Amino acid sequence: MRRARKQIPSSQPAILAFAQAQDQLGFRERVVDCAAGDSPRTILANVAPGFDGAGMRVAVDHEYHDWDAPVGEAVELALIPPVSGG
Amino acid sequence: MIAKEIIFTTAPIVIPSLTLPSREIGACVEFQGLVREIEGNTALTGLHYEAHLPMATRHLERILDKLHTAHGCSAVTFIHRLGWVPIGEASLFLRVLAAHRGPALCFCADAIDRMKADVPIWKKIAAPSK
Repeated sequence: MRRARKQIPSSQPAILAFAQAQDQLGFRERVVDCAAGDSPRTILANVAPGFDGAGMRVAVDHEYHDWDAPVGEAVELALIPPVSGG
Repeated sequence: MIAKEIIFTTAPIVIPSLTLPSREIGACVEFQGLVREIEGNTALTGLHYEAHLPMATRHLERILDKLHTAHGCSAVTFIHRLGWVPIGEASLFLRVLAAHRGPALCFCADAIDRMKADVPIWKKIAAPSK
């Protein structure tokens, strides 16, 4: 009996780039294809192979997220350079 | 529960009139952050601010709620300017109302520290004036 293979859902989150991240990437927003098991690091490596995210944080659906944790069914992935409000 | 007002605006900050939520308010602490001319060794004409608005609002709400738990204040008004802010104008206004000055002062200082650490707002240093 053939066992049903578990489907890994894919999604199309929007990458939002702010401040220095926007300067580096050259865009403010871009929609990308990814699988639920992809991490922000692997997604960025596909979109912008030379991107240097050193010192930046990443947020998935408005919450800070580990660069190497799966994004799941994310709608949005935001690149957060060091903040400087006030 | 703390009464919170969080506002982002591209217009110059107008300090809201003071409304006391109860007769128990004994302290009103206000802070304004102003854009100054010298940043490091660079002479500025102003700063440009941007924010990830939904995320910034969410994290500010969370921070203010946690500070309420820690300091027990009654109300807070947070206003942050976005876009171009010329030198001498306020980029930030914060008002904290509490029964006593100690918690209000601590709340105000901690809120600014936490904002500067975790809330996605950025300033861009403008080109030096000629």
